[in-house]
Amino acid sequence: MSQRPALFVTIVLAAAVVVAALPLVLPPFYVRVGQLMIYSAGLAVAWTILGGFAGYASFGHAAFIGVGAFAAGLVEDRLSGLPVTLMLPVGLLVGGLACAILSAAVAYPILRLRGTFFAIAMLGVCHVCAELNNNLDVLQGSLGLNFPSIAPAGWDPATFFYELYLVAGVIVFLIAWQIQRSRFGAGLLSIREDEDTARMLGVPTERYKRQAFVISAVLTGLLGVIYAHSLGYITTDSVYRDDTNLNLIVYSLLGGLGTLFGPVIGAFMLVFITQVVLARLLDFHLFATGLLLVVLVLAAPGGVLGFVKSWRQRRRAAATVPAE
Amino acid sequence: MSAPILRVEALSKRFRGLLAISDVSFAVEPGSITSVIGPNGAGKSTLFNLVTGYLPPTNGTVAFKERTITGLATNRIAELGIARAFQIARPFRDLSVAENVRIGALFGKAGVRDVAATTTRALALAGMAHLAEEPASVLTVGQLRHLEVARAIATRADLLLADEPCAGLNPTETATMIDVLRRIRASGVTVVLVEHDMPSVMEVSDRVLVLESGRLIADGTPAEVSKNPQVIAAYLGTPD
Amino acid sequence: MNLIAQTVADGLVLGGIYALAAVGFSLIFGVLHVINLSHGIIVLMGAYLALIFSETLRIDPLLTMPLVMVILFGVGYLYQRFLIQYAVDSSAFGSILLTFGVALMLHNIMIWVFSPDMKNITPTYAFTSMRLGPIVLDAVRVSCLVASLILLSCLAALLKFSPLGRVIRATAQQTLAARLCGVNVRHVYALTFAVSAAFAGAAGIVIGIILPFSPADEATWTLNAFVVVVLGGVGSPAGALIGGLLLGVVSTLTAQYIGPSFPNVTMFLLLVLLLLVRPQGLLGNAFAPSR
Repeated sequence: MSQRPALFVTIVLAAAVVVAALPLVLPPFYVRVGQLMIYSAGLAVAWTILGGFAGYASFGHAAFIGVGAFAAGLVEDRLSGLPVTLMLPVGLLVGGLACAILSAAVAYPILRLRGTFFAIAMLGVCHVCAELNNNLDVLQGSLGLNFPSIAPAGWDPATFFYELYLVAGVIVFLIAWQIQRSRFGAGLLSIREDEDTARMLGVPTERYKRQAFVISAVLTGLLGVIYAHSLGYITTDSVYRDDTNLNLIVYSLLGGLGTLFGPVIGAFMLVFITQVVLARLLDFHLFATGLLLVVLVLAAPGGVLGFVKSWRQRRRAAATVPAE
Repeated sequence: MSAPILRVEALSKRFRGLLAISDVSFAVEPGSITSVIGPNGAGKSTLFNLVTGYLPPTNGTVAFKERTITGLATNRIAELGIARAFQIARPFRDLSVAENVRIGALFGKAGVRDVAATTTRALALAGMAHLAEEPASVLTVGQLRHLEVARAIATRADLLLADEPCAGLNPTETATMIDVLRRIRASGVTVVLVEHDMPSVMEVSDRVLVLESGRLIADGTPAEVSKNPQVIAAYLGTPD
Repeated sequence: MNLIAQTVADGLVLGGIYALAAVGFSLIFGVLHVINLSHGIIVLMGAYLALIFSETLRIDPLLTMPLVMVILFGVGYLYQRFLIQYAVDSSAFGSILLTFGVALMLHNIMIWVFSPDMKNITPTYAFTSMRLGPIVLDAVRVSCLVASLILLSCLAALLKFSPLGRVIRATAQQTLAARLCGVNVRHVYALTFAVSAAFAGAAGIVIGIILPFSPADEATWTLNAFVVVVLGGVGSPAGALIGGLLLGVVSTLTAQYIGPSFPNVTMFLLLVLLLLVRPQGLLGNAFAPSR
């Protein structure tokens, strides 16, 4: 498959078309679950560019959802005279830019940290952004921000956002796929494996880490802008969420950390479990996610894809043992 | 005689109270194998760390191809064409041998790259072609050393610094490694190595540098150095 | 002038308590090299246990401390020996994720059992205050500070003078060598965690007396501990004290002069500054081999 990129892209797009047609047959509840699945998968892939590919797992990526959403909303609010069709593009531009600036600024100090220090420092960044957003009145975090309704007349808004998330998700996925197969991606992989050795081999580790960080942040922010529009009204608590921070890690862990499909699989699975299986047991969510983490760490550290890979290796090894 | 590829001038390194390297100067000819020997604690690893930019020197300069490189960042030094193979190998464990070497080929020295060809060539030179698809995590110590070397030369370096490549290897493995170093020299790469295995050093080196307590006490051909009374004293002690 | 002095004094009092709340986390990080994200929840467990015991046994909350510490010692031992140890063996990130998962589970359980509402432990001598020159100090806070300092000193003494402390320090400095000397490293790790959990619980009692608490605070206390470790250094009560005092003073000064809504911002900026300038903390790693 790696030898035939055109084939891969065709298959992805074909699958996307199939997924796009689903709202025609699914009841509204499942369309909304579908929205959440695709949105989460997109966020998971954006996160994994930094966390899975480069090995810098951030515990605070919700910061970019919040910053992107609020930047977009505040500007759209000022430009309320614009035609509705321009609102989203403007919002995306502003949100993306805000995340780019924030991540570029934070990258220098924060990427000096490794492993768990980096993870927790990012959690700190998220909390600080949330706090500033909430307490500086000009940012309207506690007051809340309204978003113009952008669904075209005649479209069911749930379906519209479903398709919007799908387009965005596929774009994020293809960007991540292209990164993974590029020289940049090979460099990120070597950084994850052994950063000092990578540097010694000539990999521009500092520059690559910053690039991955900014790309991941911007893509997350763009998805956050769409999310904000789909909600219509946001406050600090709607976007700077600790459960999002946690889920982003779990998606990649569950599916297979370091892979491209892993985050997608993990996101689909976790959203399905919490929204469909545990739909009536809202009080149980924290417990269930925690239990899942514990089980994953102890029994399947490679996630779903890791489990499949080792199962296939064991089968292959068993098959090559000569019969007695 | 072309210009020396590596020139070290009055290099010194002080760690708080200890003068680990004291006023060391030498020049390495391109296309040669130079060995740095000396008793344990003489400062050989420190010397390597100073040349490759891991440690900043207290005094003195290091010049590569007549260009000062003292104080440059590690990845910049790799881009200029210096590679290092470590005694404690650090392979990328989750990758295969070929993928490991490929990272070297993708990065390393700046310039036009033919990644596939370079990877194949490096694997062949280091004798690792038959293990190309194996995961790095299953290799033996000897094989890991070869991987280190393969990955280092895949960076298209003009100068390879090898840190005790034969340490802990049995005589057969040692001979194979020395052979690899010869092939590398034949391909045009200059090699500087730290090694303890005397017969191998004397057999393969064009030049031998002897360090003792941070000072350079001998610099010459293997024959010259092995007859040097100071060298003999450093290793064997003086008769009482 | 008086206001600064009062603010600093308040910060120091608060800081001593932060130090106690963080020292367990610091110890685990220094000895086991594990970032224990369940730390905050263990602190809260101390608070809730003290609440239950002081109400059912009708005794002053500080007097429940020995009982709470013994219980959490046992819990901590089992937790490390039979759960976290496996995560450490499994992968690099394993322990941090496992402790995170357990924290979430316990958080949920606490919400079920105790409700998400804020609770308070009220000692009998609440609402009295003392004067120290121009500075006014609340008696409850002072007694808690004193308790914290006593506990920190006990821990420091334990680590420095007792056989257990020696074994812990040896294992932290050179694990393999310790094994070769016959030390049962798993047992020592579990004991270290147990000690840490006991002190975390004690801190929880102190915190529960001074501040209203709820299950949602667990992340804050873990993060606080993390900041204290970065500020003061890893593995020693002295480092925790320095870090805690610094954090306390910065918190109160920020609340007083910049605004009560920005405690995290200054803390975080201080954290980043320190990580850039001196990432090993002011006192460094207490167990690092000397040069």
